[in-house]
Amino acid sequence: MWEQIRSNQVRSVFLIALIAGLLLAVGYFLGLYFFDSAVGGLVIALIVWAIMSLVAYFQGDSILLGMAKAKKITPDDAPRLYNVVEEMKIASGLEKVPDVYIIDDPALNAFATGRDPSRASVAITSGLLQKLTRDELQGVIGHEIAHIKNRDVLLMAITAVMLGTIVILSWYASRFLLFGAMTGSGRRSSSRSGGGGAQAIVLIVGLVLMILAPIMAQLIYYAISRKREYLADASSALYTRYPEGLASALEKIGGSKQQLKSANQATAPMYIINPLHKEGMKAADLTSTHPPISERVRILRAMTGGASFANYNDAYRKVHSGKQVIIPKTAAAGIGAIGIRQASLAAPGELGLASEKASDKAASTHEVSDLMLRLNKYRTVDCECGARWKIPPGFKDNDVLCTRCGRRIRL
Amino acid sequence: MIALWIILGIVVVLIFFIIGAYNSLVGFRNQVKNAWAQIDVQLKRRYDLIPNLVETVKGYAKHERETFEMVTKARNLAQQASSTAGAAERGKLEGELGMALGRLLAVAEAYPELKANQNFLALQEELTSTENKISFSRQYYNDSVLKFNNKIQMFPSNVIAGMFSFKLGEFFEVIVAAEKEAPKVSFT
Amino acid sequence: MLCPVCHQDALIVEYQNIELDYCPACHGVWFDAGELELLMGSAGVEDFQRYLEGIVRAPEVETTEKKHKCPACNHKMKKTYIDRDNKILVDVCHVGDGIWFDGGEVQNLIKELVEKSPEKGASQGVLAFVGEMFKHQTD
Repeated sequence: MWEQIRSNQVRSVFLIALIAGLLLAVGYFLGLYFFDSAVGGLVIALIVWAIMSLVAYFQGDSILLGMAKAKKITPDDAPRLYNVVEEMKIASGLEKVPDVYIIDDPALNAFATGRDPSRASVAITSGLLQKLTRDELQGVIGHEIAHIKNRDVLLMAITAVMLGTIVILSWYASRFLLFGAMTGSGRRSSSRSGGGGAQAIVLIVGLVLMILAPIMAQLIYYAISRKREYLADASSALYTRYPEGLASALEKIGGSKQQLKSANQATAPMYIINPLHKEGMKAADLTSTHPPISERVRILRAMTGGASFANYNDAYRKVHSGKQVIIPKTAAAGIGAIGIRQASLAAPGELGLASEKASDKAASTHEVSDLMLRLNKYRTVDCECGARWKIPPGFKDNDVLCTRCGRRIRL
Repeated sequence: MIALWIILGIVVVLIFFIIGAYNSLVGFRNQVKNAWAQIDVQLKRRYDLIPNLVETVKGYAKHERETFEMVTKARNLAQQASSTAGAAERGKLEGELGMALGRLLAVAEAYPELKANQNFLALQEELTSTENKISFSRQYYNDSVLKFNNKIQMFPSNVIAGMFSFKLGEFFEVIVAAEKEAPKVSFT
Repeated sequence: MLCPVCHQDALIVEYQNIELDYCPACHGVWFDAGELELLMGSAGVEDFQRYLEGIVRAPEVETTEKKHKCPACNHKMKKTYIDRDNKILVDVCHVGDGIWFDGGEVQNLIKELVEKSPEKGASQGVLAFVGEMFKHQTD
């Protein structure tokens, strides 16, 4: 059952090879223009790519987590979240519990990062932690752990770096070309004035490539990312044995209008839903990093027979009414039937557990915000009148006036 | 001369096949062992949680002595068996323990003050999570056993398995009857 | 949270599971949309979204008061009245992140409540809560 990684890799390797080809082509033409030598351009492209890869490999996760302003938590900070991560680690057969981070942001999202399964992290926004029930949280964490287990994180990092290199190189190249053309002092005119027609063709092909390469690379990047989302959804259903958990979590996430503050085009595929989503986005849009949420929910809800990959394929076919399969046959044909479990009963008022009752909702909301305050080193004092004051770490005075009852509380 | 080379080639291929098959069998067996160790950790964690839980519930529900005794007895039986019994026997005992725990939590439902107790809530979350971890590690263990057993029984690796007498892995099934009978907990 | 007026860390006060941010320097109060929803929910108001939209869409009031930036999304907030008598002028976030009461506005509000003008419209509960929480600004 765990062999899906290999069969998916074949397809992904093809797409990566395509991006790599683009990168080389950009380097080739770059060399032709600026150094009169294709090799020189290739070398430059490879050097830029190598430097970016090294940085991404060794620092990628800390850069990503730093950009998202994620805070690392311990099991004591959020026992339930940590437990759920441990559960999914066991279900997926991952060797090590990933580090758990919380992003202080009301937007609803989560992502996974780390170059290999033994050095991975999952991050979740405080907004999402607040809104999800235990089962839903399990579905979301299952999805993220699947990205780690299936090595999507590394794959997307490799592709993102190549995409980035292409974008940088062609940006500079096209600027230089335009600049050169405007001032009329490009080196090609002096060195190869007698080139003739073939020269002109090369010039045009190169120019078109410079303009199109970043766009093409982006489309390939998105294609890879979309495939991985389906696989991660299917894996989450398999790990949790409860597709409904992820389905209703996705519904909640999709219903939110808030955009994540700290996301950009390159990091977008790392998140459980596209953090840069716009309202009314067209389904199956080529430029989308994720399949539409409504479709992912419908597939998960259509998994009535069981929680295996084969069931996910059936559900995918039902939703698309076609013969297409989304998870490769070799992966789907594994161990026989895998049943779906019951929804777990949940007591209200515990961390990260949304509840319908207003008072419970208030309590659970503040459980998460209090956790964020603790992580930010706030102090808490209770006034006799029932008000509770939360004091920021930079507060200098020795006492605080309770504005509700007029008492002075010593800190 | 050519015949000699061919025979030598076949022997080399054969040796490589045997080494490969043997190593992959050992790999699968280690995965099974590893998966079993994970179940064991969680089962032990559950044994450790139960006395605390019983004590906490006792503080609020004094008249449920019968349930407490049942849970404690089931726990002790399961713990004793943990060092000696095989997967099948342990599955039966753990199933009984799970059933007794279900009853204890159902009892707790009748005491609103208990349900507001922070200590109880924390224990309940730990227990829920431990139960989840047991069932997830059981899934993973059984998947590993199935893969290992397939390898042992299927041609050609079955020949190697026979040569080095690999034994079939034992599935871990917590008896389903107990799970079906688990008391319905209502939140009204 | 940073006070949109003084740009210092605000205190947080929680009462009956509702949290407000309070700046001890300028006595201003930030009422977050999430907390507004909780307050409305516990008061039994069903359609919170409509209430919030009502405030966000309310007409902008011409005033000489300085405009502030929303502490959540950092965009300029607009000035509007949120009571029926047009006496309480507040800053509202354009995307509905929350409501900011200037220090002086909190004083006005408490005075208003003491005078017990009978009906404050849909914001009655919100104003009463803020007034109750901040009636002792000095010893």
